[in-house]
Amino acid sequence: MRRPALVRRERPLRGGQPLAFAVGLVVALAVGYVLLVMAGHEPMRVYQRMWEKSLSDSDAWSLTLNRAVPLGLAGLAVAVAGSMGLWNIGAEGQILAGAMGAAWVARIGETWSGPVLITAMLAAAFLAGGALALVPAVARARIGVNEIITTLMLNEIALRLVQWLIHGPWKDPESHNFPLTPMLPDQAKLPTLFGRAHWGVVIAGAVILVFAVAASRTGWGYELRVAGSSAETARYAGISLKRKILTVLLLSGAVAGLAGGVELSGTADRLTEGISNGFGYAGIIVAALALLRPSGVAFVALLFGAVQVGGQSIQIIGVSASVSTILQAFILFGAIGAGVLSRYEVRLVAGRAGAEEGAAA
Amino acid sequence: MTEASMIGLLVATVSFGALLYLAALGELIAEKAGILNLGVEGMMAMGAVSAFMAALEWGNPWLALLVGIVVGALTASVHGWFTVVMGAEQVVSGLSLTILGLGFAAYTGKNVVGRPPGAVLAPVDWGPLTDLPWAGPVLFGQAPLVYLAVLAGVAAWFVLTRTRIGLALRAAGESASTADVAGHSVVGLRFGAVAVGGGLAGASGAYLTLSLTPQWAEGMTAGRGWIAVALVIFGAWRPGRAAVGALLFGGLLALKTRLQTFGVDISPILLSMLPYVLTITVLIVISVRARNRPSPSPAALGTAYRREER
Repeated sequence: MRRPALVRRERPLRGGQPLAFAVGLVVALAVGYVLLVMAGHEPMRVYQRMWEKSLSDSDAWSLTLNRAVPLGLAGLAVAVAGSMGLWNIGAEGQILAGAMGAAWVARIGETWSGPVLITAMLAAAFLAGGALALVPAVARARIGVNEIITTLMLNEIALRLVQWLIHGPWKDPESHNFPLTPMLPDQAKLPTLFGRAHWGVVIAGAVILVFAVAASRTGWGYELRVAGSSAETARYAGISLKRKILTVLLLSGAVAGLAGGVELSGTADRLTEGISNGFGYAGIIVAALALLRPSGVAFVALLFGAVQVGGQSIQIIGVSASVSTILQAFILFGAIGAGVLSRYEVRLVAGRAGAEEGAAA
Repeated sequence: MTEASMIGLLVATVSFGALLYLAALGELIAEKAGILNLGVEGMMAMGAVSAFMAALEWGNPWLALLVGIVVGALTASVHGWFTVVMGAEQVVSGLSLTILGLGFAAYTGKNVVGRPPGAVLAPVDWGPLTDLPWAGPVLFGQAPLVYLAVLAGVAAWFVLTRTRIGLALRAAGESASTADVAGHSVVGLRFGAVAVGGGLAGASGAYLTLSLTPQWAEGMTAGRGWIAVALVIFGAWRPGRAAVGALLFGGLLALKTRLQTFGVDISPILLSMLPYVLTITVLIVISVRARNRPSPSPAALGTAYRREER
């Protein structure tokens, strides 16, 4: 009996990943089309509006770029850990930690000048994100505790920390009992670049560029890849695995934390529990689609930024913004499917009997 | 603290515990077969919204429950297809399933937000037992899904530890190639475990919208899917211990809204961090002890299996 099976290609198809990505996009748009029709909307009108509001002119681009900033930094955070075979699922919590750190500096530094205050806020965000990754990093490096679950749990812990601050110690005394923190002082806001785009775009771009260079052109990046592909080889090469794990997870957390600081200073008026808005989880999809490459992260973050901005713009014409959430998930699933097919091919192979031969060999 | 408020706390502990337990049991079964499914939150949301809409449409709560279970299993099958059949990264696929499930549930449920329920699963009347002091309301006045959760737990324990298929399933999670050589279909076992797990997550979601808070609102699963993931670890991948953990975490959820009545001056928000803090602690303890004894975690958890690459 013969059955279909996935067999690894001798070499992956050229341009497989961009192609897989395009397939994902087409699949997502097709699924979205059906969903929109079923809900009685005109899909082409919805898609046209999403395009116009996210990519058609410089105003639209400025919004998309702003969205791409936290997505790109979160994606980079996941990619940095992923290059060593580690999963930082905690970007969502680290973004919140970064926003808390930055908000704390804004509270104590109300009287500082803009550049000083913003620099201090972003530094605090960076440190706070790293601090939230400390327990998973140490636990993984020292005793081998699975970092997937610890970072995931810390997301929920960080979310409750923010809620507690908003409802308690940091509540605005003049908010008439609403759980709101005071507005950020004006000098704590990142200056704008063009349209609505703020300087966070430059910061995120620079950070991604630094990591892209570090990953591909330095000994540090090379060691990461070696350590990620084989612990055995790394030991032979004299690379300290424990130290690498520790620094990489802390750095990953810090980069995500920076995203929280930039988001607070760039687009938010105050610290809210919704400040991360799922950026940390979307960042994991972004990193996966970019095959954990920093340069790819920037590109995918832009596309996801556009989908999210477009998703918000269609609420006005009565379409649920969750369309954009669904599109993002389907881009990934479509791309996973196509990505697997670029590395594997479907062949008919022998059934049971063949398996036993293989086992005996 | 009055007797009535104490009883109220225990009643809520058991009902929240069952809610968490159903979803955790589903995750446990999938993980035992070697598949980590971080899509629990999404599967719960899908089960919740579909059961609520089915109740509105047909007015039969049992049919609605069935719809919730089936939709949960179908949602999980997306994860099953990509991770079991195609061998994709489980973490990425699972988290995408959460995003997809939450988005899809929000999209389809948009028009039923705030609607009164079409049908509810009312508490079971056990006759004279229900009239007992304390035990009556706490144990014999619960919604049917509480008893279903107990049954499911016993069934899962029995199947996993006392049957051939349970042994095969655990083998798929410990060493897939061994299970394959022994003549079991790893793909079938794993896919089945993921689908059954999704059905239980769907049942948990249906319990929300058919009994616990019979209405639909976006985001009403409120992170309980993550607690379910935590419970599997807290319970060291055993149905019995997970049940104890479910009661503990359920108690914390129940206590959250009652702290003030009891005159305790702790922020309920800080209290709700406890399940996650406890889980991290347990995970660290497990890892420290794993130096001397085998870890309770399935050995092949999170790894794809392709026969051709064995």
